Amino acid sequence: MTDALTVTDAPALTGTLTVHRAGLAAVQDLGRFGHSRYGLPVNGALDQHSARVANVLAGNDEGAPLVEITALDFGCTPSTDILIAVTGAPADVTVGGVARPMWEPLPVRAGETITVSGIRLGLRVYLAVLGSVDTPSLLGSCAPDTILGFGRSLSDGDELALRTSCPPVAHPVFGIPLFRVHAPVAHFAESWTVDVTDGPDLAEFGDTAERLFRSPFTVTPRSNHIGLRMSGDVPRRVATGEVLSRGVPVGAVEVPAGDELLVLHRGRGVTAGYPVLAVVTATGLSALGRPGPASPSASGTGPWRRRWPTTGPSAMPSAPWPPVSAPSSTSCASPSPRPPGPSPPPSDFPLTSRPPSPCE
Amino acid sequence: MAGTADSGEVTIADCGDSAVVVKAVGLPPDRAWRTVHALADAVEAARPGGVYGIVPTYDTLLVEFDCATTDHLTLRRLLRYESGRLAEGPRPGPAPRRFVVPVVYGGEHGPDLPVVAEQLGLTEAEVVELHSRAPLTVRCFGAPAAAPMMDGPAFPRPVPRLASPRTSVVPGSIAVAGRQAVISPMPSPGGWPLLGRTPLRVLDLDARPLTPYRPGDTFQFVPIAPEQWDEHAGAALEACHD
Repeated sequence: MTDALTVTDAPALTGTLTVHRAGLAAVQDLGRFGHSRYGLPVNGALDQHSARVANVLAGNDEGAPLVEITALDFGCTPSTDILIAVTGAPADVTVGGVARPMWEPLPVRAGETITVSGIRLGLRVYLAVLGSVDTPSLLGSCAPDTILGFGRSLSDGDELALRTSCPPVAHPVFGIPLFRVHAPVAHFAESWTVDVTDGPDLAEFGDTAERLFRSPFTVTPRSNHIGLRMSGDVPRRVATGEVLSRGVPVGAVEVPAGDELLVLHRGRGVTAGYPVLAVVTATGLSALGRPGPASPSASGTGPWRRRWPTTGPSAMPSAPWPPVSAPSSTSCASPSPRPPGPSPPPSDFPLTSRPPSPCE
Repeated sequence: MAGTADSGEVTIADCGDSAVVVKAVGLPPDRAWRTVHALADAVEAARPGGVYGIVPTYDTLLVEFDCATTDHLTLRRLLRYESGRLAEGPRPGPAPRRFVVPVVYGGEHGPDLPVVAEQLGLTEAEVVELHSRAPLTVRCFGAPAAAPMMDGPAFPRPVPRLASPRTSVVPGSIAVAGRQAVISPMPSPGGWPLLGRTPLRVLDLDARPLTPYRPGDTFQFVPIAPEQWDEHAGAALEACHD
């Protein structure tokens, strides 16, 4: 009796985004969270900042599926009017043959071609579409996982199903978008400074640990989503003895055998047996998702910058859990292992000293 | 203070700006392992906001969180509170299960069996007999994804890793290294010597929970002849417990 009013949960698919030139692109999101207990890496966009901003600019939830373009030129055309945003490494973006800015919402008319070319200073560009795209999901995420053999790598001719269309939000004559959002643009450069905290096994490296902060390290071509390998004057473990396999966080800086640093990134196996010298901060990880391999003559990545030291094994304050019916702001007022030091530190922040800590 | 002695002591250290690591100290290995896994269960049950990864292994528990949502101090309080509750007495968990796993040893399925036998100073038959004599206990999940990491069989000495890791190991491969044993659920690179392969389907990515096995469960390996492969091929491991 109510056939005409049948409602389905799935949003109506309104069009397609046809990929002409796929290069190295895949459908990506922020990661597959909550399964590390089963040994599954989190994966997801290596430059989380750029991916989140692209989605927000396109009017999406920050974790919505979007296109991650790596290094090579990319081109696609929607069958319907859409709104997109392109973030990440500097690149030349055109819509319908006209140069358009990155880090801003961009209206695209049906049939206009979007191109991303000349990706430089970094590896990854993110293209989000209002309403996102329809894509298979595994354990709550579309993030590619090379071990599970899951993920949607794009090929020339692929069609991505769009979930919504968007009337053109642009000046009818001049085609200029009617907004300027001024989103926080990620920093891209020839060399990078990456924030780390002291790792739990810092002491095992003795005096050589300071080498991490003294001279630049260069990203080598043997780097991927599992980890970045960097050459340079690597610290040496001075302690001996086996380390039992244990969980290691994304961002762990390890020194396996050889003359390379290994910095674990989002595709890392959740356990490892190497001592952890330092741990890259959450924002530092986004920065590490940006650079590509540099030739040995280039400055590559470096130097590392030490943030607040970790507190190390210590006696716990005897505060109760759960917090006694306190508003969340209360916990902000309680002593934190994070010193209230300069944030962000000035650019001449001394690399070999560390900020004062209330723990010392 | 008997409770304290039973639970031992845990230390909690920051591990970057988005994780803390708990270590059980001053306990025999089995107790330390039980402690960190019980603590992981407790954290999982408490569902603290912002926590997205917990990795219990042998004597440590890694808790990963979104540092924009929660912080070290909040997690330290939770972990202290839960470890204090554990000290009051063990909490019942699911009873361990024993999986019975048919394995074709040697030949194309276990290409490293002869090498391992030589390294251990045993015959191939003796290696197979030791590997399948007693059930092996799952301690944690490891690489590759969701692989059951087990205490190794009672070999006379640790088994060296391969000098040159394989670029791809087929699912169901049975491998040993050091004093550990594993089944590879997914195709992956691997540096552990391969003793054999099970025809069972170890992992079903659509299953919930993801794996039929969990730490504390045991695997009893049973040698089968290569011609029996087809009798078991594709059967789900989930159905093979007693």
